[in-house]
Amino acid sequence: MKGKIVKLLTLLMVASLFLAACGGGATEAPAPAEPAEPAAPAEPAETEASEEPAQPAMEEQTVVIGFTSSLTGSQEVSSKRQVNGFNLWMEQVNEAGGVTLSDGTVVKFEAHTYDDESNAERVQELYTRLITEDNADFLISPYSSGLTSAASIVAEQNGKVMITTGAADDDTYKTGNTSLFQLYTPASLYMSSTVDMLKELDPEAKIALVHESDKFSTSVAEGIKPYLEANNFEIVLEEGYASDTADFGPIVNKISGSGATVLLGGGHYNDGTALARAIYDRNIGLKFVYLLVAPADTKFPELGDAALGVATSSQWELAATHNEAEASNLGVEWFGPSGEEFATAYEAAYGDPPTYHVAGGYAAGLVLQKAIIDADSVDPEAVKAALNAMDIMTFYGGTKFDTSEEAHGLQIAHKMVVAQWQKNEAGEFERVIIAPADVATADPLYAPSAP
Amino acid sequence: MKNWRNHLGLLVPLLVVAGMVLWPVATGNLSNRENSFTILKAIALASSLNILLGYTGYVSFGHIVFYGFGGYVGLYFVNEQGWSIWAGILVGGISSGLLAFLLGKAILRLRGAYFALATIGINEAMKAFVNNFDLFGGPIGMTLNFSVYRAYGGAAEALRLSFYIMAGLTFAALILSHLVRTSKFGLGLQAIRENEDAAEVMGVVAPDAKTWAYVLSAIIPGMVGVLFFFKNGNVEPHVAFPLHASIELLVMVMLGGQGTVLGPIIGAFAYQGMRGFLVTSPIFKDIQLSVSGVVLLLIVLFIPAGAIGWLRQRIPSLRRVLA
Repeated sequence: MKGKIVKLLTLLMVASLFLAACGGGATEAPAPAEPAEPAAPAEPAETEASEEPAQPAMEEQTVVIGFTSSLTGSQEVSSKRQVNGFNLWMEQVNEAGGVTLSDGTVVKFEAHTYDDESNAERVQELYTRLITEDNADFLISPYSSGLTSAASIVAEQNGKVMITTGAADDDTYKTGNTSLFQLYTPASLYMSSTVDMLKELDPEAKIALVHESDKFSTSVAEGIKPYLEANNFEIVLEEGYASDTADFGPIVNKISGSGATVLLGGGHYNDGTALARAIYDRNIGLKFVYLLVAPADTKFPELGDAALGVATSSQWELAATHNEAEASNLGVEWFGPSGEEFATAYEAAYGDPPTYHVAGGYAAGLVLQKAIIDADSVDPEAVKAALNAMDIMTFYGGTKFDTSEEAHGLQIAHKMVVAQWQKNEAGEFERVIIAPADVATADPLYAPSAP
Repeated sequence: MKNWRNHLGLLVPLLVVAGMVLWPVATGNLSNRENSFTILKAIALASSLNILLGYTGYVSFGHIVFYGFGGYVGLYFVNEQGWSIWAGILVGGISSGLLAFLLGKAILRLRGAYFALATIGINEAMKAFVNNFDLFGGPIGMTLNFSVYRAYGGAAEALRLSFYIMAGLTFAALILSHLVRTSKFGLGLQAIRENEDAAEVMGVVAPDAKTWAYVLSAIIPGMVGVLFFFKNGNVEPHVAFPLHASIELLVMVMLGGQGTVLGPIIGAFAYQGMRGFLVTSPIFKDIQLSVSGVVLLLIVLFIPAGAIGWLRQRIPSLRRVLA
């Protein structure tokens, strides 16, 4: 009898937990899929075709865009921001009346998405479902190179275009694929602007390359080594650490013992913040600290003074956003809203200033929209041809893809900037651009050379 | 006729799995095929673990190490040395079996919690080793070139072939499990499970029997690893050695009923089927982890003997069928 009562109580507790979870989901779940309507929406993205003289619409066609995102798991923070950016684009373009093709067809967009849990096990299953059950016409990649590699096989198998954002590793595009189109600067080029800056600041700098032992971070570190050596920098320490490392004491000891003056490395959000804090706590006299990904997030200053001076590469920064004049100087076509319009709309919808992950998600939609306009069709082969021929600039930067068989889809026009957390006159943290010099908004915070 | 009834313990599991293989073939639906692949993979892995966990009573928290290690070795030969997928699967299975043999000699002297802890350590040690082993690509892992698929008629055909090979490996896992269970060797394992000291007194050479059980439980996971990474197009250390996947396998075996051939099938089907449903359900997809946690908690609380144990207890006439 007593046992039955215990089981009954457990059942009731579990049922209430379940209902609470359902209740929470009901209020939270729609947020990523359907962003709040912007209070002050930016000017809708320019749709060349929609600006054509009004014609009677022959029919409305809904294009389904499918993707998985990491609502849970290790890539959760960056992946959610990316989805927010994409949803903002979709909301804006649909509100602006969609894309009108020359035959009068009005194309509107709809997203279908699943949680991949940052886990490779179900990625192919989910992308197959997106294509066969949800009838996705175009695909956006998951947020990571490994997951994208798995998903790209399904895209290739079904002849679907996949715009990748958040999949920076070069190897993912060197598989002989014909369907991938990368928006990010490839991992091997992530740190090149930083090294160029160091050449000017301190050619004698001793480098510690300390990075997360995962596909992306190791690719970045491996990619920059030849460039560092070619510029006569001495690499005094090269060390990988496990992705779930929380105690960076031993790593900081090694950096300290190596005589390094500059740290280049990091990995993702969780490990990057822990490493920044450990370096600050030990105060090992580094002149410059550069970490991947984590400092690009708006939450990074929550570390307090440990965030001061930490730099990162960024795919996009509002302070160095690309503009129409730049496109005109380079002789490439400009497309879409300005960076300021995008940022205002995003902040109105989500309450945060946009990060480069948000911009990447938005740009994925924008590039697809432009390809549909150029192709004047939603036929996958025509859109693929338009993407292969694309050479444009948006607020996010240049977009042009490698069309060779060896590295199809690799991004070749997008450039990164180096951003650093500094304090403004009011003592508040702000992320400033310190390189390249032509877009820099502040001087780098770099410790003076030792006497 | 009687002879046929004596083999119901194998026929029922084979028929259940055959139904799962035929379901996507009959519907001609790619999504069903992918779903079925995930379930078949779970059945093959859970059935292999059952040889150690269910028959011998040794809890291995790091059994996924054989899937990762075999997968890495096999994919290396397929991707870097140009071997066929068949040869890759074979070498993956052999290398996992060999690793289990060497490990078994060392750690199967441990019992209970000590053995379980050692298996976790081995999985993490292997992950760290592969992370630093340049031949396997270190932390970057290996990415399969699509040209490898051309030998099988392109990506679409390669994925289709992978499904049928997966079905073959699942059948092989079930037959192996049944053969072990009904053999004299299997009886020895079950004696070890009940009381290892008493089994030794009765003439069972426990260290040898346990080692061979460990080897047999490692071969199929090694083969499945090669096939999965081949199909997935890439492998990285954290994908090859996920500790949580080992725990999921334990859950599947215990959910269905350990020590039976049918149990791991029911457990894997229920667990992966439920996850597959929840992750794609419009209602549950945003809270799918919470819901699966609650469902598992309920099952463990109310059906601790697993589905097979529960059915056998309540319906005696099913005992012959639910072996």
